[in-house]
Amino acid sequence: MSRSYQTLVRIALFAGLAAAWELFPRAGIVDAMLLPPLSDVLATLIKLLGQPNVHEALAVTAAEVIVAFLIAVPIGALIGVMAAENEYFGEIIRPLLFYVFSIPKSIFLPLFILALGIGFPQKVAYAAFSTVFIVIMSASAAVESVKAEHTLVARSYGATRSQIVTWVYVPSMLPILLETLRIAMIFNFTGVMIAEMYASRTGIGHLIANWGENFMMPQLFAGVVLLASMSILFNEAIRTLEARCSTWRT
Amino acid sequence: MQHVANLTVAREQVASPAIEVRSLSHVYQGRDGAVPALAGIDLSVGHGRFTVIVGPSGCGKTSLLLMIAGLRRQAAGEIFCEGRPMTVPDPARIGVVFQEASLFPWLTAIDNVEFPLALKHMPREDRRARADEMLKLVGLEGFGGRYPHELSGGMKQRVSIARGLVQDPPVLLMDEPFAALDEQTRMTMGHELLKIWSETSKTVVFITHSLTEAVYLADEVLVMSARPGRIIDRVAIELPRPRTYEMMATDVFGRLRERIWHQIRVTT
Repeated sequence: MSRSYQTLVRIALFAGLAAAWELFPRAGIVDAMLLPPLSDVLATLIKLLGQPNVHEALAVTAAEVIVAFLIAVPIGALIGVMAAENEYFGEIIRPLLFYVFSIPKSIFLPLFILALGIGFPQKVAYAAFSTVFIVIMSASAAVESVKAEHTLVARSYGATRSQIVTWVYVPSMLPILLETLRIAMIFNFTGVMIAEMYASRTGIGHLIANWGENFMMPQLFAGVVLLASMSILFNEAIRTLEARCSTWRT
Repeated sequence: MQHVANLTVAREQVASPAIEVRSLSHVYQGRDGAVPALAGIDLSVGHGRFTVIVGPSGCGKTSLLLMIAGLRRQAAGEIFCEGRPMTVPDPARIGVVFQEASLFPWLTAIDNVEFPLALKHMPREDRRARADEMLKLVGLEGFGGRYPHELSGGMKQRVSIARGLVQDPPVLLMDEPFAALDEQTRMTMGHELLKIWSETSKTVVFITHSLTEAVYLADEVLVMSARPGRIIDRVAIELPRPRTYEMMATDVFGRLRERIWHQIRVTT
């Protein structure tokens, strides 16, 4: 009862926001020039999705996001696991990681432009750079979440090193690893967007920045809705997987 | 020839104790240098005997157990199980039951019990059948599909015991298996363990902090001193079997408990 009630309130809240977005500009409560009604934004979105230049921008952005993700996650995971497993390496590298982690990565953006220009490699490098530290931190935390008792149990039954990895480490780390993927994608996507909006010739971030500068509000909001939906979709997909493992997360 | 050789091995096993520890010592590296942890431990546990080790916290009981299991290397001394030296874990000879949190939370009860068999690549049906048998032995028939977080503390330890027995090792080592349980459950579990023990005729080495539990369960109680751990007393518990709760109220029980308590108190 209370659960379905909760869902109902959530839907009502969502519908309320959508309705406000539609009605306030139409009623003149907010300036329709600044905030176009939702239906106009959605109509613009559908129109934009039919345009070749938008297709191209989306393809470029998607490629940047995927490549940066595929670079940052394995490298970060490897360093993170090593820092947690190898005491010496961990002691050496941990302070440095904490220092760099605390710095806002966007202040390095001009350096990336000077070194790599404003094309695809610069976007990927900057996004991977801004993502890799959170992956290192989370991967270390994942290794540390493996309970010593569980490893001891496996050893007492004669498990080999590789059996301990597959039977104990992987399932122990899985919940945190999934969470890491989710958070890494947030950092990664943000990195690509910032780089594209700051200086770029193409990409959806570049288009959004342009639409904003030229006061093309329906297009701007259409872009925001599109990117927001994509992010939420990815995030929720991983969260569903996480929830499945939540029972054995102690 | 093969036949004769087998006979010789068999005879040796009968002649040698289930567990033998000879002048075992251990030192670990602390912040202020070497700390002696165990000093000259000698012990011998006969086949089918129930031995309980008690001692003050930090006396090295758990270290000793882990060394017997082949899970930790000693600095000096020898350990034999079934007449052969123990240097690496050997589940065919020794099953270990740990404290409460040792079940894998991502596996169901039956999958936890099957775990040692799965490591040995036993076919799925065979290991399921064997695990079912073990769950029945510990009184958990029908609970195989539950995850550890869906089981009570006592039930979790029953699963741990089933897991320890699933490969039918002659020796079972138990490291404070009931420490996290409430007093009532603890007594019930002790009683159940004795039943399982008498049905399976295993050799058991059991560590506990509870002197009542020690006297109730043991054939012999080994009392360890504070660090560096030595065995300072060996108390034979000559209460009849099967043990009953009523025995706890007897004078003999009280005197045995008193004797052990006195030894521990003197050294701490």
